[in-house]
Amino acid sequence: MSAVEAMPAVGAVPAMPAAFDALFRREYPRVVAIALRIVRDHDEAEDVAQDVFVSFYRKHPADAPYAAPWLYSAAAHTALNVIRTRERRGRRDAIHAREREATIDPAEHAIATEREEAVRSALARLDERSASLLALRYSGLSYEEISAALGLRRSSIGTFLARAEDAFRREVTR
Amino acid sequence: MTNNNDLTGLEIVDVPVDTERALARIRARVERERIAPVTRAPGAGNRPLVSVWLRGLAAAASVVLVLTLLTVSGVAETILTIFEPKQVVAVPVTGADLSAAASGLGTYGTLEWSATPRPYDVPDAATAARETGLTVRTPSQLPSGVQTSTVRFGVMPRTTATFTFSADMTRAAASRVGRTPPPMPANIDGSKLFITGGPVVVQHFAASAPAATGESARFAGVPALIIAQGKGPVVQSDGVTVEQLQQYLLAQPGISPQLAAQIRAIKDPSSTLPIPIPVDMATSKTVTVQGVSGVFIGDSTGLGSAVIWQKDGIVFGVAGTLTEAQVLAVANSLR
Repeated sequence: MSAVEAMPAVGAVPAMPAAFDALFRREYPRVVAIALRIVRDHDEAEDVAQDVFVSFYRKHPADAPYAAPWLYSAAAHTALNVIRTRERRGRRDAIHAREREATIDPAEHAIATEREEAVRSALARLDERSASLLALRYSGLSYEEISAALGLRRSSIGTFLARAEDAFRREVTR
Repeated sequence: MTNNNDLTGLEIVDVPVDTERALARIRARVERERIAPVTRAPGAGNRPLVSVWLRGLAAAASVVLVLTLLTVSGVAETILTIFEPKQVVAVPVTGADLSAAASGLGTYGTLEWSATPRPYDVPDAATAARETGLTVRTPSQLPSGVQTSTVRFGVMPRTTATFTFSADMTRAAASRVGRTPPPMPANIDGSKLFITGGPVVVQHFAASAPAATGESARFAGVPALIIAQGKGPVVQSDGVTVEQLQQYLLAQPGISPQLAAQIRAIKDPSSTLPIPIPVDMATSKTVTVQGVSGVFIGDSTGLGSAVIWQKDGIVFGVAGTLTEAQVLAVANSLR
């Protein structure tokens, strides 16, 4: 690096800390997986993950001990906001999207998309904690990790999870 | 799981993600939006998993604090505790009063927090008690529709702030909105107030049975019951004539004569915590709770109620989408 490059420009934004790179590499797939359980679309899940990491970057140091649970909780929360907003806008957009995407095998595609919509819609109707709990558990987090992310006691997670699954079943079949 | 089929919808196949590409994307965004990284932890031991409801409470607390400043009285020659709540009283305010009060602090000088108030969630009452040093009172009675199992605990640590009055800032703020404020007395300019608030413990109960369908789903996140307890704000002054301070603040544009009269009428202003009641949204009356005098607040729709009281140095509040009788029953059942 030359001396000029090393010199910070006037008003330059400090470089991204190495600790953030490490955190990002370690947790990004997890954050995407959590968001994906809710938004049910890979591109959209990656968009959510980007927003989650940017929010974290703005306010928290990369080496914070609470980084991982914070990211998991924020991933669920942000993804839920996305689908709830869509739910409020109605299904109009979703139908348009389906028409746009229906290219190869329209009939099969439509059935699959409808199913995804039913799951999304059920999650959007659940209370925040239940929906987050399902997203975290079904993306493979341990009870310990869920406990840290959602601020729930380890011993009560089994009960909360069973209740959330019941509520989800009711919503998805209704 | 007896009926696994309905849960299969939750299972989804993860496609490998391109983490390096995603990292390049976030790096580009951080540079484009000129976002600086944070290098210092926001507070030792605090897990900043802050719920929206806790942030709302913090905002409400700041309005109470400003109202408190409006009630300080007495003459302070040296550093002196000029406000310490021993009782609560309702002060009806209009929307205009509230916005005048809410924008107030920044208009009259600089508020510096020793540590920014940062509420966070804790797993249980024992942790809340350990982290605040407060005896956490829990209800032995809950109205039907509110379940103990949904309880969540939040903690706001004790925080202190210093407020420094500035005549220059007051003039500048007023000229921006095309107003001429009454001149700030010379001894107020540059004087300091030391404000201490908290710690606070909040219990939050969700409504039971999230049979949230259609319209009601929107209210899924609304708490059915909130119980808050904490050390009320204490205000100290470094020597300003606070009688003059009250006179000065109450003469500000935006503070209605009615509000000024109400505050002047408070008999013991240095130990009475004023609770702002927005007149167009709520009604209030005095009630007896836990053997002391408190303020009951009902919103004008009849859906929500709250009761606030002070006992043994702690300010308590119980609020919820409940009736007056239910809120009082919960308040009286705190042990």
